[in-house]
Amino acid sequence: MLFNKRTERYFIWVFFPLALLMPLFLAENTFFVSKLTSVMIFALFVMSLDYLVGRCGLITLGHAMFYGLGGYLFWMIAPEYEAVNFWVYTFYICTIAAAVALVIGFLVLRTSGIYMIMITLAFAQMAFYFFSDSIEFGGNDGLFIYVKPETSIFGLSFFDLDNPIHFYYLCLLSLFNTLVFFRVLIRSRFGRVVDAINENPGRTTALGYNIFMYRLMSYVIASALGAYAGYLFTLQYGFVNPSMMAWTTSGSALVMSILGGMGSIYGAILGTFAYEGLHYLLEHLTEYWMLFMGILIIAMVMIFKNGIAGYMEKLLEKRI
Amino acid sequence: MNTQVSLDLDVMLETQGLCKYWGGLKALDNISLQFYDKQLHGIVGPNGAGKSTLLNMLCGHYKPTQGSILHKGAAIEAIKSYAFARRGIGRSFQKTNIYPGATCLENCCVAVQRRMGGNFNFLRSRYTQKVLDEIATEALEKVGLGHRRNEVASHISYGEQRQLEIAMVLATSPEVLLLDEPMAGMGHEESQLIIELLKKLRREYCIVLVEHDMDAVFELSDQLTVMVDGQHLTTGSVDRVRDDPRVKEAYLGQGDEVF
Repeated sequence: MLFNKRTERYFIWVFFPLALLMPLFLAENTFFVSKLTSVMIFALFVMSLDYLVGRCGLITLGHAMFYGLGGYLFWMIAPEYEAVNFWVYTFYICTIAAAVALVIGFLVLRTSGIYMIMITLAFAQMAFYFFSDSIEFGGNDGLFIYVKPETSIFGLSFFDLDNPIHFYYLCLLSLFNTLVFFRVLIRSRFGRVVDAINENPGRTTALGYNIFMYRLMSYVIASALGAYAGYLFTLQYGFVNPSMMAWTTSGSALVMSILGGMGSIYGAILGTFAYEGLHYLLEHLTEYWMLFMGILIIAMVMIFKNGIAGYMEKLLEKRI
Repeated sequence: MNTQVSLDLDVMLETQGLCKYWGGLKALDNISLQFYDKQLHGIVGPNGAGKSTLLNMLCGHYKPTQGSILHKGAAIEAIKSYAFARRGIGRSFQKTNIYPGATCLENCCVAVQRRMGGNFNFLRSRYTQKVLDEIATEALEKVGLGHRRNEVASHISYGEQRQLEIAMVLATSPEVLLLDEPMAGMGHEESQLIIELLKKLRREYCIVLVEHDMDAVFELSDQLTVMVDGQHLTTGSVDRVRDDPRVKEAYLGQGDEVF
């Protein structure tokens, strides 16, 4: 197996305690906290894509459609001037996004490889133009969310979403839970079949598996989580707009996934932080940051053959 | 044609007027055969005779242009390809077709798990089911790979990969085994292992064996079918087929003195 669990464990033990303690030192620096929050939200999105691309072998350029859908769905189903319950709406949004993914997946997953890339892109562009051209959904400018949800469970409320530090912790918790969820999923019996399909679909069919159902299920799960990430994004910034659905969002998420190490899941966090970190640094150094960014990414992909996660594992194996 | 076979044997698999055309090319033309339970049915013929095409249709990989396939009397040619395996028709491939990145045990576990259920269980770890491991190990031991249990499949020798291929089919607990050249590319000693294995298996399963190694086929087959250019030439016991002048002609025409 390419990605061993030891490195993942090390990573979890380094990253999450650090992220947990971060606000103690930087609580005053609201810009930094909100930047970290948005990177974590995007890392969650990249993670769901990483599962699809790296684990299931389903390369999609339309995953951002669900990212945007998460935001738009919240605007559509939540009352405009009333605080709703965060957990209840998480459930609603994930369920509706899963239902949409079921229908789209049913059509998209009949193809594979380059054809699947094209058809997922086509669906995403359709959604993009639908939302950016319709006046009801605010057109190109998108929509504002005026009231943030409250987060009480049985009368107990741990997070105040208007407080950036609280929201930071909510996103950290979501990221951690998603990582754990994918670990469990990959280790499960369902995960065994998904691994088998990724490695040799023909053989898996010959053993009697209906591989379409497994792919569809994976697609639905990843899409629901992608929508959840979009929902968090909308809550953070208080708006939703069509650029969330643009194919460039899918594209950069794909780059982050490759950068982090496709199929490693925790690599999605590494990839997103590396990409966004570079972006942030270069943006402040030079006007032509995109040029340097491109060169750096090409270099990184060439040096780290299996992404940053793969490189870390190689280093650790040498040491131990 | 099969009059010499005693009729108390059960017909496991049957083809009726099976045809497969690729455009104008008749890869298979009107093949009607019966495969009996607990018998080994060898299929031989020169290259391009349609042996692999026949096997690919028996396992549902190709759909026949015409004709039907009966499994225990039920027509199955229209069902989905994965459903063939669920009915107990397992096959091995001419080119080694395994999960190279996984261990031998894991390879067989994938095969076993299909009928154990819980395939859409998202939460339970794949490593918790002992029964599954046991059945998989049993299949590995049957083909003599018990000692390779925890090796990664791409690290074992070619011959062992061929054995693993058969172990995976056995792990699905099939009734019918479709074996596509299990000895292809093997050394003499390795083939001997497979021959011994097939001798053990042929009284337990209905086996259809496509093979180029004539000595092996003659040694193993209860029934032998010769195919030439997509046509059925003859079927019968090994001795009868060997003495058939048409068979000699077909092979001599190729300049290939196998008999």
